[in-house]
Amino acid sequence: MSTRISRRQMLVGMMSAGAATALVVPPVAAQEHPAQPVAPSDAVAMLYDNNICTGCNACVVACSEANGVSPDTALSGGLWQMPPDLNAKTRNLIKLYKRPDGKGSAFVKRQCMHCLDAACVAGCPFDALKKDRWGAVTWDSSRCIGCRYCQVACPFDIPKFEWDQWNPKIVKCEFCFDQRLVENKQPACTAVCPTGAVIFGKRTDLLSIAKKRVARAPGKYFEKRVYGEHEGGGTQVLYLSRVAFEEIGLPTLGSTSIAHYATHVTSVIYKWLSGPILMAGLLGAAIKRNWDRHEAERPEREKETGVQDQL
Amino acid sequence: MSIPEKSETELTSRWDCDLPVNNEPVVTVNFIFLAALSVLGLGLAVVRFFSPLGRFSGMNDAYAWGIWKTFNVMTLTALGSGPLGIGIAVWVFNRRQLHVVMRTAALSGFLFYATALVALGFDVGRPWNFWSFLLPWRWNAESAMLEISICMPLYCAAFLAFELIPLVLERLKRTGNDRLRVWVPVIERYVRLVYPFMMAGAYVVPMMHQSSLGGLLLLAGYKIHPLWQTSFLPLLYLLAAGFCGIAFVTLLLLLACSRYERPLDMVVLGELGNLLSWSCFAFLAVRVADLLWRGQFETAIAFDSMSVLFLIETGLILAPAIALRFRGMREAPRSLLQLASMACLGGMLFRFIPTTIAFEPAQRAVYFPSVIELLMSVDYIALGVLAFFLAAKCFAILPGKLEPAQFKFREISLRELVTQLKGRTA
Repeated sequence: MSTRISRRQMLVGMMSAGAATALVVPPVAAQEHPAQPVAPSDAVAMLYDNNICTGCNACVVACSEANGVSPDTALSGGLWQMPPDLNAKTRNLIKLYKRPDGKGSAFVKRQCMHCLDAACVAGCPFDALKKDRWGAVTWDSSRCIGCRYCQVACPFDIPKFEWDQWNPKIVKCEFCFDQRLVENKQPACTAVCPTGAVIFGKRTDLLSIAKKRVARAPGKYFEKRVYGEHEGGGTQVLYLSRVAFEEIGLPTLGSTSIAHYATHVTSVIYKWLSGPILMAGLLGAAIKRNWDRHEAERPEREKETGVQDQL
Repeated sequence: MSIPEKSETELTSRWDCDLPVNNEPVVTVNFIFLAALSVLGLGLAVVRFFSPLGRFSGMNDAYAWGIWKTFNVMTLTALGSGPLGIGIAVWVFNRRQLHVVMRTAALSGFLFYATALVALGFDVGRPWNFWSFLLPWRWNAESAMLEISICMPLYCAAFLAFELIPLVLERLKRTGNDRLRVWVPVIERYVRLVYPFMMAGAYVVPMMHQSSLGGLLLLAGYKIHPLWQTSFLPLLYLLAAGFCGIAFVTLLLLLACSRYERPLDMVVLGELGNLLSWSCFAFLAVRVADLLWRGQFETAIAFDSMSVLFLIETGLILAPAIALRFRGMREAPRSLLQLASMACLGGMLFRFIPTTIAFEPAQRAVYFPSVIELLMSVDYIALGVLAFFLAAKCFAILPGKLEPAQFKFREISLRELVTQLKGRTA
């Protein structure tokens, strides 16, 4: 192995050193996806309490109306709205959980949780899903390529895809953003709820309301806490439940944002493309050395073997 | 097809250059069969473009990714990483004797990627919005999906295609008309001028997207079984691509050279086996260290269905890693073939399992690919196989021993193909 360093190798070496510096500097900069995201001060939220919900389904009907979708009546033979689960026609659904032993039951309102640091938003390649004003997670049809990564990423299995459409859309609760929020109206489901089981407001206000309810009647609330305050880094739809959260379909999640888990290493490596540039410098220096050697020996080798060098 | 167990003088010999396959006509029964499958697959793909996805696949909202993504893209491009693994060995670590197999690697890699991109293009629901990739302000730079959707086509269209330019030039030099031939040395000079720089890109770019394929799965979080869900998935996916690429090229060389009665160079193939062994060990070291670090050792040996899957997958990688340390094993064609196949299979299992089998969303659902979905997936592979053997007959791709009479390029013309086809069907 030659120990002499050519000017070009020197140059490559210096470039690599520069890239290495670039690699070390970025961690100092603020993280885009902190482990525990902080809600912006204007973040709105919903609070759902299944001690109050009577399962009247007014919110389900109001949701379909507000979003202009024909109700899913397949299961009832076309008679009434009866979606088996959230689907491409259903952004919001009241489901009934029954204990296996028959003692006790509880409703749950399933919809997009509008996570503070949403996995779907972090994964969406062209920002079709984004954190809009007030923290609503909205979908932009002009940017979505239909890769369905949001469905794979969402820990709550919320985004639905129109499998039976030629021009498929991603369907999920968008907080009635275009329909009502921008007109300074609350979402259709909270507006119509007759019992106040689901209410709308600022996230900070709703959190304190929820905590007051728990403090007043701790026995009524599972684990005496609000689901969504910290789950997956925190959500903008909050739950109070009389049965275990797992039982009404809310998964047990740590307090770390999933987007943080997925990006905390790569965001450092890819900051200003420093990692790839560094790697290209390192590999490039070795390749160039071996290539130059290969080219220098080529005429002699070709003469010896009688075969033209094949790249 | 028979593979000799013992090295015999006429069956093994040093490879000194790449030669076109001339001892078989272009149109064979296999050719017709593969061509029919390819046409069917591409036809179905076009029909799929004009109809909803639901009718063509078993995918659903819980399992939103089917085999077109999870197998054709996420699994098979690992086998197509030969140009990455072997290229690094040749140009970075100066294993010059592997130079002779680079064309086989480059072509197979190109075809794995190209067919994967076809699969991907017809899998996405709103492909007409893909032009956003031209507008950097629309990019979500944090997204592994963005990295893949830009990096993969770029690698295939720019870097892998670049590695194939010399094959075309070489053919033109010998068969082209005078007007074309004038350009050959000019282009060749430019190719050689940029070659080392293009190679640097040709290794960094796939390192990026092969690791991002693993990175995709990080956001799925708890849905993926803890034996596979780890922050080391990007690195593991990259290391798997490394050994899968080497294993597949070894396998392909053994099969193709036997098929076309080429002698086998057991020194070169043995060297590939040697590299394969070390790259399997590199993968296993990270895999096992990660499991121990995360305290999942007991999960791994629990002998439930997931643990058994893990043990099969790891066994298939560990066996060739150990066996190929012995010169006798890696320099005997039969054992090398078996061990390379095991490594391919193990690597494919590692890449596929977390996307589907160990992927369990909270909502209850099952996914099994529909018949058309399976057929299209197989057809894309058939297209790649067809193109490989067609190219091997038209260009100097497979390595062999030079006898100047052999270094002849057959004529390819539509008329010739039609005549051969008529001869076959008559």
